[in-house]
Amino acid sequence: MKPSTEVVHAATGLTSWINGVCTETENLSRNVASLLERNLAGKSKVGKSSLTGLDELAREFLTQNAFAVGSGTFFATESVEEGGHALEWWSRKESGVMKRLHLDLTPGSNRYYDYEKLPFFSTAAATGEQTLWGPYIDYLGFEEYILTFAAPFSVHGHFTGVSGCDIRIKDLEPLIMPNLRSIPGDAALINASNRVILGNSGMYLVGERVKSGSANQHRMALDVPHLGLSLIYTA
Amino acid sequence: MASPTLFHLQIYRTLPEIERADAIVDRISKAIALGLLKVGERLPPEAALSEMFGVGGATLREALAALRGQGVVETRRGRSGGTFVVSQPRTQTDVIRDWFLSTSISEIRDIGDEHSAIAATTIRLACERAEAHDFDRLQELARALVLAATPEARAPADSRFHVELAISAQSPRLAAAEIRLQEETVQQLWTPLTVPFDPEQATAEHLELVRAVAQDQPEKAQKLVLEHIRRNIFHLIDTKLTLGYAQSIQDVQ
Repeated sequence: MKPSTEVVHAATGLTSWINGVCTETENLSRNVASLLERNLAGKSKVGKSSLTGLDELAREFLTQNAFAVGSGTFFATESVEEGGHALEWWSRKESGVMKRLHLDLTPGSNRYYDYEKLPFFSTAAATGEQTLWGPYIDYLGFEEYILTFAAPFSVHGHFTGVSGCDIRIKDLEPLIMPNLRSIPGDAALINASNRVILGNSGMYLVGERVKSGSANQHRMALDVPHLGLSLIYTA
Repeated sequence: MASPTLFHLQIYRTLPEIERADAIVDRISKAIALGLLKVGERLPPEAALSEMFGVGGATLREALAALRGQGVVETRRGRSGGTFVVSQPRTQTDVIRDWFLSTSISEIRDIGDEHSAIAATTIRLACERAEAHDFDRLQELARALVLAATPEARAPADSRFHVELAISAQSPRLAAAEIRLQEETVQQLWTPLTVPFDPEQATAEHLELVRAVAQDQPEKAQKLVLEHIRRNIFHLIDTKLTLGYAQSIQDVQ
């Protein structure tokens, strides 16, 4: 069965909005990579001095993209001096002030934030492509219910880290709900693991896993590279 | 009684000025809401107000500052200055509408998740621990909801039933959690902003819950209470969608 005009229209709207976020994320990751190449000036590993200017890129991203609540860069252990961890992540507080995120990076500590094991990092590292992780509760990190867009980058041909942004589920709702509400029946945007990112009714609630089952549940893949997003709708 | 002890001095000390400032805010807000003071009307000068209310200048200024903060009055300088009533105080309905506009669907779903967890265990314990006189009392409280004549009376009747059900489970911590959850959502459920919530169905569900508890059927009681909460949450989400995104369809096209 062919999807209705409303479904096609909503899918187009969602696709274009999400691709916009992907483009911004991709640009950030490219800018981070070229800044690092300049900062490293021939050195092979990232040290404290190589991070100069990364804070500016993160803050700029947040200023230009009101939908995002956090932005920055996480580095792979093997690309950092002395096997250390490094990150430069900024978030926008309720007051609008931007603050650097301080995370516990000591392995074995109670509040250890092992970001390399988190899918936004590990998937981008493994595939070399942009990823979308969430909705998830960023425990010990930003500690909110969020989505994270992340794009990997390489310096001198080696995978070095990921740059990206966080979007609060609460902030995403008013941005994409108008598209979903233009579909007359129950519909939802779902991620690659069939989890609802946002639905247009009580039928599909954010965070729930969608079980395929009913014959009148249809799925349309969104034309967004690598993220595995779909629109499901009943007709 | 001999000379007052330290404790007595503590008990009978002068009332804090802040409570008197709150009382002034309350008095003026109510007068505006009732139409006794009209928008545009000038309040008497500060000195006269202090004298009439019998409070110090600092207390009066604190009260006026609070009213200004709420946008109810405005103070203008100059010869034709003074403190003027500029708007109606916000009603309960306005506050509830703002709650719906500022609370996301993910947050409403999350309230439902927590409520389900608390209610499921509470009702299982109620099956084990409640006794005959609890059943009668709960039945009476369940009927009070359908007998409530106005939406304003339905909210306290509904929350009273759930809190007393939690009390029959004999856990102070679970009862406290139930009270907190009721305070968070019961007004939203019964304030008729869009489609009014049906008290007959809610009462029927409450009576079924009492029956399952009285017959010591924990599985059935848990299933019923989870469905009950799910229905409440769906009503809140529907209200949110209607209030927050009613215009969406036209906007997109």
